[in-house]
Amino acid sequence: MVTLLINAIKRLQVSTLLPIRTYVSVNPQSIPLDNSLVVTKKEWKFPPAYTKPREVWIENLDTLEEKKLGLFELHPSVYATTPRIDIIHRNVVWQRKYRWVSWAHTKTRAEVRGGGKKPWPQKGLGRARHGSIRSPLFRGGGVAHGPRSGKTHFFMLPFHLRIQGLTSTLSTKLAQDDLHIVKDLELPSDEPDFLLDLIESRNWGPSVLIVDDSDLAPRNITAAADAIAHVNIMPVYGLNVYSMLKHDTLILTLSAAAKIEERILQHLHSITTDKEASFKLNQV
Amino acid sequence: MEWLGSTILKTLWKPTINSVRTRFHADKTRLVRRYGYRELLWRGGLMPRIGARKLPIPEYRPANVWTERRALFGQNDYIDILGTGALHPVKTLYTVPSWIRGVSGEEYHVLLRKKKMWAKTGSPQTRPTKWKELEKRMGYLYRKLNRKTKTGPSPD
Repeated sequence: MVTLLINAIKRLQVSTLLPIRTYVSVNPQSIPLDNSLVVTKKEWKFPPAYTKPREVWIENLDTLEEKKLGLFELHPSVYATTPRIDIIHRNVVWQRKYRWVSWAHTKTRAEVRGGGKKPWPQKGLGRARHGSIRSPLFRGGGVAHGPRSGKTHFFMLPFHLRIQGLTSTLSTKLAQDDLHIVKDLELPSDEPDFLLDLIESRNWGPSVLIVDDSDLAPRNITAAADAIAHVNIMPVYGLNVYSMLKHDTLILTLSAAAKIEERILQHLHSITTDKEASFKLNQV
Repeated sequence: MEWLGSTILKTLWKPTINSVRTRFHADKTRLVRRYGYRELLWRGGLMPRIGARKLPIPEYRPANVWTERRALFGQNDYIDILGTGALHPVKTLYTVPSWIRGVSGEEYHVLLRKKKMWAKTGSPQTRPTKWKELEKRMGYLYRKLNRKTKTGPSPD
């Protein structure tokens, strides 16, 4: 019995534990301990009435290792609403449908060439009566009730549902730790590998959507993201529910986050009867 | 005496006896019936397509989901909310022809709009057959909708 135990102990391979990689994107070592943090308190035009603003870290992009540059406040009506996944779904359905035109097309018996003459006399041949070789019964004839080209699936989702789709998706992303705020988009190099390493080291997942306030992003990040298919850059006005869901992580610059907040809060606190009115074709 | 000895032995030593089968059903030779006949009918269950030509299953080629069109699908769909408000998202549907952009309706209504917008172009002259078919189809649908179909309930 004793020898058995000794043998068992001998066989135990003592090894040092590898540091466990936690899949949380907040790395405690990246937080500076001195008082160099910038804590931005915002003065909103429409301050939150009943809920507290959400605080997020401001991160950097210029080094591989993460540095927390400060704290930033996000408005709870935009970034911390109830995540209504039913509304998110309706938004995605709308985005897919409103641009969808089916171009499937078949010709009717009137459009297929020929078929004017009666193929054989009505009576006396013992054959079935027919009036045209382009009838749907014939091979090579027209198609009855086939698809006609230019079938649209267009509709407009109500204005406030689209706003709610945006806020719900942004809130979901923030709650799931998939939304990050960066100071700016300045990268030290235009190598795609640097950006890939950065994404890998910060646990940003398989795809990243970067949103900036301006139309022109810095040269280094555009060159790097251009070479990587799953890293994309969008201006604020291009942001949408489908892309936020397609990409794993959403990176907003400070100004982009503020801009989105400002635009949505503006709509939430203004009279929008003209925008709620049903869509007219001649309005656009 | 011999009998006594064997009885004593039997009482003292009782070996356990296991009957060992040397002849199993599977080992028996059987009469071969219809020798030389090859069964052509498959009796092994569902069709495995052994030896036969395989059905042409296309090679699985997954689409690249990160092409530019797919990666940026839906961009600018909220431009009226997040942008300046001057542009409607329907205006940004550049991939859809202008005559059907933002249109929803029956075939007749779509054709009506198409004809109205195409009449100003050179289309009636450059594509006369298409134009004729368009007009013919519209005439057919007009008759069908107005003379052969019941109208819906009155809106009032």
